[in-house]
Amino acid sequence: MVGLRTTPADMPAKARDVGRARPWLRSAEARHQAWGYLFLAPMFLLLVVFKFVPMLQAFYLSLTSYDLLSPPRFVGLRNYATLLQDPLFHQSVGVTAYYVFGTCVLIWFVSLGMALIFNAPLPAKNVLRTIYFIPAIVPVVVYAIIWLFLFHPYGLLNVALHAIGLPAVQWLSDTRAVLPGFILSSLWRFAPYFMIIYLAGLQSIPLEYYEAAAIDGAAGAQAFRCVTLPLLRPTILLVVVVSIILMSKVFTNVLIITGGGPAGATRVLSLFIYQTGFQYFKMGLASAASIFLLFGTMTFTLLQLRLFRDDPRG
Amino acid sequence: MARRFGLLYWLGVLLVAAWGLVQLVPILWMISTSLKPLNQIFALPIQWIPRPPQWSNYPQAWNEFPFARYFVNSFIVSASVTVLNVFLAGLAGYSLSKYRYFGQRALFIAILSTLMLPIEVLMVPTFLIAKTFGWLNTYQGLVIPAVADAFGVFLMRQFMLGLPDSLVEAARIDGAGELGTYFRIVVPLIWPAVLTLAIFTWRETWDAFVWPFIIISEDSLRTVPIGLQRFQEQYVTTYNSVMAISTIAMIPLVLLFFFFQRAFIRGIALSGLKE
Repeated sequence: MVGLRTTPADMPAKARDVGRARPWLRSAEARHQAWGYLFLAPMFLLLVVFKFVPMLQAFYLSLTSYDLLSPPRFVGLRNYATLLQDPLFHQSVGVTAYYVFGTCVLIWFVSLGMALIFNAPLPAKNVLRTIYFIPAIVPVVVYAIIWLFLFHPYGLLNVALHAIGLPAVQWLSDTRAVLPGFILSSLWRFAPYFMIIYLAGLQSIPLEYYEAAAIDGAAGAQAFRCVTLPLLRPTILLVVVVSIILMSKVFTNVLIITGGGPAGATRVLSLFIYQTGFQYFKMGLASAASIFLLFGTMTFTLLQLRLFRDDPRG
Repeated sequence: MARRFGLLYWLGVLLVAAWGLVQLVPILWMISTSLKPLNQIFALPIQWIPRPPQWSNYPQAWNEFPFARYFVNSFIVSASVTVLNVFLAGLAGYSLSKYRYFGQRALFIAILSTLMLPIEVLMVPTFLIAKTFGWLNTYQGLVIPAVADAFGVFLMRQFMLGLPDSLVEAARIDGAGELGTYFRIVVPLIWPAVLTLAIFTWRETWDAFVWPFIIISEDSLRTVPIGLQRFQEQYVTTYNSVMAISTIAMIPLVLLFFFFQRAFIRGIALSGLKE
C-alpha cells in the first residue's frame, strides 16, 4: 500500500499488539486509517444527507405527482412529457439561455479588460481596484433593489438616456427591453468578481516572458497576443465555465425585480422551479424541471473539473 | 511593461477613475435617495446631496420591521455556519491530504461532485428533507444544510497538500495525538487559508437568500436578506425608506470587505470551483 505510515516509533506498539484482542484496530496502520475515516465522516455525512439524498429524491419525485398533501403517486415519465409540451417551460429555457449567454459573453470581455488595466502600472491602484470591486460586495437583495429603482420609468437609467438625447425605455414592462436591462445589471455586479479571477491569472504570468518578448521586438498588442493570451488560457476557460454556472442559477434578483414578468419574459429556470413547486405545489413537475437544470449545470461543471485537472496548480 | 507617463497615459488613468465612479453611481443614488423626502425622489435635476437631509427616514424604516431581530438572526446563523463549516471542512481536508486509506480518491471525487448541486437546483427535495426532520422555521434548519458545502473541503485539502508530510509525522511521533497534531501543528501553519475560508463562508451565509426564503415563514426567524425583501415588497413605492434600510443592510458586508480585504479577495480568486 502506498504511503504506509509505519515509523520506527510505532514498531514496538505494533509488535505488542500481535495476538491481542481485535489486533486489526490496534495496528498502527489500521489506527491511521480509522482516524482518516473519522475526520472525514462528519462532513461526508452532511453532504450525503443534504446533497446526494436530495439529488436522488429529485429523480424519484420527477417520476411522481406530489402536492405535499397526499403521498407521491408514481406517474412514470409524464412530468417530462408535460414539460416538453409546456410553452411556459420552453419560454423559460429560452429566457435562461438568453440571460446566461448574453451576460457571460459581455462579462468575459469586460472583466478581462478591467483586469488588464489593473495589471498595468497605475497610480493609487489599490484604491481604484477597491472602487471597481464595490458592486460585487453589495448584498444580493440590495443589488436587486438598487436595480429595481434604476429601472423605474423616471429612474436614473432613463434620466441618463434622456441626457444623451435618447427616448426613455420601459425597462420593466417592455418584454424586449427587460432582459437587456437584467444583463446590464448582472454585468455591473459580476464583472468585478471575474476581474479578480483574471487578475490572479495575469499575475501568475512571469515577467521574464514579457522581457523576452520585448527583446524579440514584441510589445503592446503583439505581446498580448503571443504571451498573455496563451498563458492565460486556463484562466479564460475557468472564467467561461464559472460564469455560465453562476448565471444559470440566478434567482434572487429576478424574484425581486420582476417576479418573472412581464408575461414570463424573465422567468428563468430557477424561478420556474420555485413557482411550480412552492406556489402551485406541483413538486413532481418542479423536480423534473430541476433535473433539466441539473443536467445543464452538470455538463458545465464536469467541463470545469476537467479544466482543473489539466491545470498544474489544481 | 512599458512605463509611459505621457499625456495619453494620464488621460487613460483619468478615464479609468471616471469609469470607476460611474460604477458607483447606483450606490450613491441609493444613499442619496435614502435621505430625501418622498416628494423629491424623482425630482429633476437630481439633487445628489439632499438639503436638508431627512435623517428621520432611517429610524422610521428601522422601526417599521423588527430589523434588530433580523440582524441578530443573521449573526447567529452566519457565526454557526462559519464555525461548523470551517471546523468540519478543515478536518475533512486534513483527512484527505494527510492520511491514506482505501477509497480516498473516490470519496474526494464524490465530495467534489456535490459542488454541482446548488440549492437553486435542489430546492424542492432539500425542503422536503428539512420538513421530514421538522426543521422548517428553526435555526438548525437554517444552519445545518448550509454547513453541507464542499468548497471548504477542497480549499483546505489544497492548502494542506502543500505542507510537508514529515512535519505532521514528526508531531505524531512526538506523541501529539491525532487531534493535537491537527490543532497545534497543521492549523497554525495554514492559518491564512482558514481565515480565507471563514471570511468567504461568512459572506456567503450572511448574504444567502434562496434557502432561508424557502424554509422560513416565521417573522422572528427571518434573516436580514429576507427581512429586506419583505420590507421592499410591502413598501414598494416608499423608495426613501426602502433605500434607507438597504443602506443599513449593506454596511456589514462593506465593513467585512474593508477589514479583511486580502482574505476576501483571495477567497474570490480561489472560488473558481465554487460558483
